[in-house]
Amino acid sequence: MLTLILETATQFLFVLLAAPLFAGIFAKFKAMVESRKGPSIFQPYFDLLKLLKKETLVPQGSSILFRYVPYVAFGVYCLITLIIPVVIPVPIIFTASADFLGGAILFSFAAFLKMAAAMDSGSNLAAMGVSRLASFNFLGEGALITVFIAVSLITATDNPYTTNQYLVSNPSANITLVHVFATLAFFMIFLYETGKIPLESSGMQELGMIDESLNYEYSGRLLAVNKWSSYMKQYLLGSVLLNVFLFPWGLYSTYPYFLLDIPVMIGKWLLLIFIVMIIETTLAKVRLFKILDYLAVAFTFSILFLLLSEVMH
Amino acid sequence: MIYDGIVYLISASILVSAFYIQGQRYIMSMIRGQLVQSILIAAASFLLAYLENSLDLLILGALILILRGILITYMLETRMPRRKSYVFEEGVNVPYLFLVDLVFIVIAVFIIYSIIFSTLVPISQPGNSSTLLFPLLLFFQGIFLITSRRSTYTQIVGYVEEENGLVLLAIFLLPVPIIIEASVFLDVLALVVISSVITVEKSTHERMEELRG
Repeated sequence: MLTLILETATQFLFVLLAAPLFAGIFAKFKAMVESRKGPSIFQPYFDLLKLLKKETLVPQGSSILFRYVPYVAFGVYCLITLIIPVVIPVPIIFTASADFLGGAILFSFAAFLKMAAAMDSGSNLAAMGVSRLASFNFLGEGALITVFIAVSLITATDNPYTTNQYLVSNPSANITLVHVFATLAFFMIFLYETGKIPLESSGMQELGMIDESLNYEYSGRLLAVNKWSSYMKQYLLGSVLLNVFLFPWGLYSTYPYFLLDIPVMIGKWLLLIFIVMIIETTLAKVRLFKILDYLAVAFTFSILFLLLSEVMH
Repeated sequence: MIYDGIVYLISASILVSAFYIQGQRYIMSMIRGQLVQSILIAAASFLLAYLENSLDLLILGALILILRGILITYMLETRMPRRKSYVFEEGVNVPYLFLVDLVFIVIAVFIIYSIIFSTLVPISQPGNSSTLLFPLLLFFQGIFLITSRRSTYTQIVGYVEEENGLVLLAIFLLPVPIIIEASVFLDVLALVVISSVITVEKSTHERMEELRG
């Protein structure tokens, strides 16, 4: 029981506290590739601290939704942290509260909440971003949920921990066709959801702005909470990609070995950051209306994966 | 076991190449996609020839490679206008096309396949007819490519893709398929020759203008 509590605390605190670190490492590595000195890898923490100390401005005419949704979305991501295998490979205390599909739907729920809050601000720019997100997400969320359903077809259970165990104990399952399709589809969705360069230029550029525009009217503490949720979302999606699809090995569960999971996860993330960085520094950003083509390809892969896993088993 | 995996891999790559062709705006890359698809089908034929120790499939693979891969691609490319890399088709809505294509595939898998094809026995895996699914999917995608586009080149590529589906079915299903490839080849060659004459006259087709009184 004590081990279980310790594992739960480790997973929750690690995701909560280390999520901004990976964004920092990514920014630093990218700067190094581009021959810049770049910010410190702890820059996201400094940003969060600075924002937490600043004054919070709320647009006139916005409702209670605008003020409280960042906290609710943050809570949703905290809940997702507890139900999918992002650090510890065995179920922890709150795992039973939802299955894999529940996790996918919680991601969609948080995205919906953020969109509703951004619309509530009454800003034109935020409304533009919301309309972009809404027109892209119907394929993005569809592909995400399809991939998660299809994963459950492999092991006949909707439990990501079982999938992880299955992939670890059957190495040949990692190179099957269905698994390759699923990994590809999920990786494409990961790039889209985290706003990486072929799809979205980071920062406040109006032409390439999708996800960032949701934060447009936020300031101070609320902006800090929103940014923190974004880091957590990136960490959660990336860790699902690593632990369930790309690289399921190397995680431990018994006391005291589960503490080794922390360096293992950091190592795995360095691998993922390396892959994403190669993509970011070699590809150009696609035009905005081409993003739908990209997502259609991801959706096609996920549906093909669903069909093939149904036919071949 | 490992060879079955390779057969599946090649079949799925053929399927992905069909989607690649479906999503292209530029005609040149569509023709190149057809080339890749033909090479993949030839590879499947060679692999099964090795597995079954069959000379027929070896000859069939070589025929596909030479006739379908090289000859048809060459004929189509030489028929293109001079600045060929710039020729593209307007109004191609990729998400829409892909979604409709997926609907075709779902119908192919869950209705036709489960009713008709599940009792047939393919070469590679006795007792598991799931490889027969891929020719059917390719066939449907060829049909959809023809109906969804207006450019004559695209429609020729769609026809070739459809015939590719038939050849793939012949490879997976029957032990002596050369006669099929011969007839299909003559069919395609005649079509390409005739349609290359037509493309000189008109390169796109408006909706049903030929039948207007």
